[in-house]
Amino acid sequence: MDPRMAELLTPFLKFLNGRELGPDDSLRERGLDSMQSINVLFEIEDVFGVSLPDEDITDATFATPATLWTAVSAQLERQGVSS
Amino acid sequence: MTAAPLAELVGRVTKVAEEHVREADETAAFPVQALDELRATGLLGLLVPAEDGGLGGSLADVLETSTELGRVDMSVAMIFAMHCQQVAAVLAHAEGRLRAELLPEIAAGRLYLGSVTTEAGKGGHLLTAESAAAWSEGELLVDRFAPVVTGGNHADGFLITLRAPDAEADNQVSLVYAARDQLEIERAGGWQPLGMRASDSGALRLRGRLPAHQVVGRHGDFHTIVTTVFGPLAHLGWASCWLGTAAGALSRVIASLRGSRGKTDLSSELLMTRLSRARQRLDTVHALIGHARHVVETTADLSVPKVQLLINAVKITAAEECYRAVDELVDAVGMRHGYLRDSPTRLEQSLRDLRSAVLNYSNDRLHLADGRLTLLDQEVRFA
Repeated sequence: MDPRMAELLTPFLKFLNGRELGPDDSLRERGLDSMQSINVLFEIEDVFGVSLPDEDITDATFATPATLWTAVSAQLERQGVSS
Repeated sequence: MTAAPLAELVGRVTKVAEEHVREADETAAFPVQALDELRATGLLGLLVPAEDGGLGGSLADVLETSTELGRVDMSVAMIFAMHCQQVAAVLAHAEGRLRAELLPEIAAGRLYLGSVTTEAGKGGHLLTAESAAAWSEGELLVDRFAPVVTGGNHADGFLITLRAPDAEADNQVSLVYAARDQLEIERAGGWQPLGMRASDSGALRLRGRLPAHQVVGRHGDFHTIVTTVFGPLAHLGWASCWLGTAAGALSRVIASLRGSRGKTDLSSELLMTRLSRARQRLDTVHALIGHARHVVETTADLSVPKVQLLINAVKITAAEECYRAVDELVDAVGMRHGYLRDSPTRLEQSLRDLRSAVLNYSNDRLHLADGRLTLLDQEVRFA
């Protein structure tokens, strides 16, 4: 997982309490609100230069940093963006 | 279904509800006779599979029944629909011992399930909880105030949302079951509302100690129950009740107009237009509910924005359109038949009852969620 993934998520996680974010941590338990999904998408667009397709916007995609990264990396490959 | 046809069972309940609808409204009394008939007909166990002793009904059966009950008494319909929502959560997410304890009781009509999800200050927002469950010697401690609990004084058991024990985040919510006799229940307010008077939805304070196995699904995972069961069942169920109430009102208006032919000018273009509008609104809601039901039944992941938007649209649209339809019918038939309490059209009560629809999980709050969801669905594809 690209370290920038955890970095861009951290500001949204009000219950991280200074701990390091692991790839399989539950984003919900760390405080990610589904209402913030759009802001996370904007960050992903700014940092990685890709946008996730509408069909990827599911609870499963936003479950952990790793699941989100899987979706992002698939788009990086498809859209041929060099990260 | 092995029992009598569904329509016959529902007919038994509507007959009883009809006898008590005026009195229940006037005195703000819970419709105990209709609830007893829901128990006796097995309809409280409509969703429970036949192999577990229930009627083995489908989501379509629940919605159809809600509409039929709503034609007569919206309070009875909402009581039924919300009970079915709780039962659906138990069926989809309760496991092992809890499941084995609850299903036979529900099927036998002995367990009317109330819902405790409201909390002061969060406006019915489902996905957070302030009151936390705590562990004490292996048991779950519950101490919870709830400002609105439909049928709270008559439910045999409750599904209660609480912040998961040991949770740091307020969005880690657990759903627990508590039998009435496991709780100390204190009435924390009266119930003298504008409409929905028979639903007896006053505030309660609940305290108790529950065995650890009485959690529905995993601790902290109520979110999944909301997406898969609570959200769709609530919105489609409520909408079906409201559709029934508005349809019942229109039906009684038509009966009144046809009965007074000769006295009423049925060539009035204004009257025809108003009748048409009311009917059109109800057909819109009916079609929307049917389409959303099909999507819910055939979509694996209901968390996709376009599906969430559709499920919310059912609630928002039904709440507005059913109320407007009845409001227009008041204009259509005028002061005497539309506004007086003792008119056989019962528009006055229907209008008061339906006024609650936009407030029952507020449309304003749903629009806020829908705005965010709309931003997430750039291509604007429809479910």
